[in-house]
Parts: sequence; structure tokens; C-alpha cells
Amino acid sequence: MRRFTFFGGKGGTGKTSCAAAYALSLASKGTRTLVVSTDPAHSLADAFGKPIGFETALLRENLWGLEIDAEVEAKKYMKVIQEKVLDLVSAAIVEEIKRQIEIAYMSPGAEEAAIFDKFVELMESAGTTYDSIVFDTAPTGHTLRLLTLPEILETWIEHLIEKRRKAMHLMKMAARYDSVLADKIKEDPIIETLSARKEKFALARRYLTDSALSGFFFVLNAEKLPILETARAVELLGKHGVHVGGMVINKVIPPEAGAFFEKRRSAQEGYLADINSRFSSFVRVELPLLDSDIQGVEQLEMMVPLLGALDASGE
Amino acid sequence: MNRQVFWEKLKSTLHNTWEFIVLFHHGTFVDKRMAVVRKEAFDINDNLMLLLFGDYLGVPNPMSYYMLELLPYVANDLEPWERRIQNRKFLIAEKAAQYDFD
Repeated sequence: MRRFTFFGGKGGTGKTSCAAAYALSLASKGTRTLVVSTDPAHSLADAFGKPIGFETALLRENLWGLEIDAEVEAKKYMKVIQEKVLDLVSAAIVEEIKRQIEIAYMSPGAEEAAIFDKFVELMESAGTTYDSIVFDTAPTGHTLRLLTLPEILETWIEHLIEKRRKAMHLMKMAARYDSVLADKIKEDPIIETLSARKEKFALARRYLTDSALSGFFFVLNAEKLPILETARAVELLGKHGVHVGGMVINKVIPPEAGAFFEKRRSAQEGYLADINSRFSSFVRVELPLLDSDIQGVEQLEMMVPLLGALDASGE
Repeated sequence: MNRQVFWEKLKSTLHNTWEFIVLFHHGTFVDKRMAVVRKEAFDINDNLMLLLFGDYLGVPNPMSYYMLELLPYVANDLEPWERRIQNRKFLIAEKAAQYDFD
């Protein structure tokens, strides 16, 4: 069974409903499933019709939900650092350091990094606490960035470690005749910390690029813009080695829709043909446009049998 | 008796002479070279700090959030580093000074 399932795509295509319904289908088969929203604008709780917060909430048997809150995660992270600072740093500069931490917290990228940290932490917990994690991701751009982050940052951090190694090597040479310096550089917490961070990125990358563990599903509508965006995203994920599991073509207008939709339906036929030829190598599932929006567990359950085909692609 | 005093004296003279030779060579050949190495090591480290905490000086850093976890270990050196790095004016002069051209 696939351990990590991602649902992504253009905004408004129905990612959350698909993720929720898929998580329900896993849970009903007895798989301990966690459904996580990484979108800063959460809508998972709305889909289930139940409150979900930044702490895991039990939704029903074998099913838990979580909405990652970047601010809460960043605060937790900063608190750990502040405690460490108080241990290691002289009282005179603690205030200054606290200010620096505040600045970093406000800096661009902090929210993204906080979400990524939680994301890795959750991935580590899969296999022990949960059997499977379903990610309801943010619209494409945000998510692609999240998934490709480890590769970029790993390279960057490698260079930092290399530089520090070089400096330490020279310092060791100089320390042969300088016992004070020799004591100072006996162990290097900086290389240790950077290595631990690098290890975290490497782990995330291993998980994300292992097609037996992770699968990415695109939710799209039979319209021009979602198709083009999906095609670009598929290409980019391929470049970074993330396995694309399949496509969910949502809100397909059924033949019985009536005269008003006739014209749209004929345009849709063209787009569906386009989807089938562009993404012929992936599993494709079509979901019909319904006469009302999907809300609450009961209605989500109606979607479950339709998503069954997605399971097959993992094996 | 006299002979013993003589040997003692000779021993200490030899010892002092040896110490002088060691220190002389250390001062002439080793220490200066090591100072260069040391300076180079600290320079590389300062540059590394610039990569890690450049955002304090206004150089954007894509990962300043992750760099926070290094802060406890470098905090004591942060202020002197900021002073050093802001005082750097001529890189060539700085390098030349290391090699003691006088």
C-alpha cells in the first residue's frame, strides 16, 4: 500500500473533496489514515463538516485529520531555540538574540519552512502511528515549491558544511601549537546541526521520490487552463523525480445535464480527448458534476467507490 | 663535588640552549606560518557566517528560518563578527597583510 498520497492541482478543482473521500476509503478498509491539509487556507474541516485544528483530531474510526498551522509550528520551533539560547549564551546578549529570532520569524520563507518541517515530521511518523497519510495540498505553485524544496536546500546546505569543514581543518592545523584553540574546536555543534538538517532534507527527498511510498494525484477539470497547468506540473515533478500516480478529472458534465449544458459538454468532449492523449500513461478517474456541492462525511462516502481505481496505480 | 656542580651547570646550559633553539625556530618558521593559517581559518569562518546570517546585514538568505537553530552556538561571536565584517574595506590589503611583506 502507498504510504503517502498527495492530491494537488489548480485552485477550485476539488482537491480537498478528493483527498477527503480517498482518506475515507482507506479508513473504511481498516487502514489507519491521517488526512493533512498543507494549504495555508484550510478547507478540510469544511469538507468533513467537523472541526479540525493544528492538532490531530479523530474524525471517525481509523481516520484522523490535521490542518498544519504555520504560525503555531514556527512558534514551537522558536521556543525550543530560545530555551537553548538561554542555556548557552551570556545574559548580556540574550535580548539581542531574542530580537534576531523575531526578525527571522517575520522574514519571507519562514511560513513555508515551518510547514515543511511539520510535513517531514508527519512523514516520519507514518509507518508507526499511521499506515497511510493523505495530503490535501495547496494549489499547484505552492505545492511544487514544497516538494522540490528539499533538493534545492540539500545542495545549499552541503556547501555550507563543506565550508565549515575547511575552516575547521585549518583551525586544527593552527591549534597544534595552541592549546586554547584546540580545546575550543574539539567538537563542532555547527557541523552537527547542519548535518542533522541535511539528513532531514535527504529523508524527505527519499520519501518523495520513492514511487513505492509516494504517489501524487492531480485533480483537474476538463477545461483548458487546468489541463495546461497540470501538464507543466507533471513535467516539473518528473524532473525532480516525484512519481505521478494519476489524474482525477472532476466535475465532468454528464449527458443527462440538459440543453443548457449542451454546448459546454461538446467543448468538454474535446478537452477530455486532450486529457486522455496527454496523460495516457497515468491512471485516470472521471468524477461527474453533481447537482449539489459535496459536504460532510455521508456525501463524501458516495465518492469513495469512484476513486477505487486510484488504489490500483500504487501497486 | 666540584665535578657534580660542573655537570649540573652544563646540563642546565644545554637545556637552556636547546629551549632557545626550539623557540627561535618556532618563532621564525612555525608561528608566523600558523598565524597565517589561523587567520585564513577565521576568515573562512567569517565568510561562512555571512552565508548563514547575512540577513542581519541586509543580505537576503533563503533559509534564515533554519539558520536560527545555529544561533545558540554562534550567538557569543555574533556581535564581534558583525563589527569585523562591516569594517572590511580592502580585501587585497587584508590578504597582503597576512604575508608580512615588510
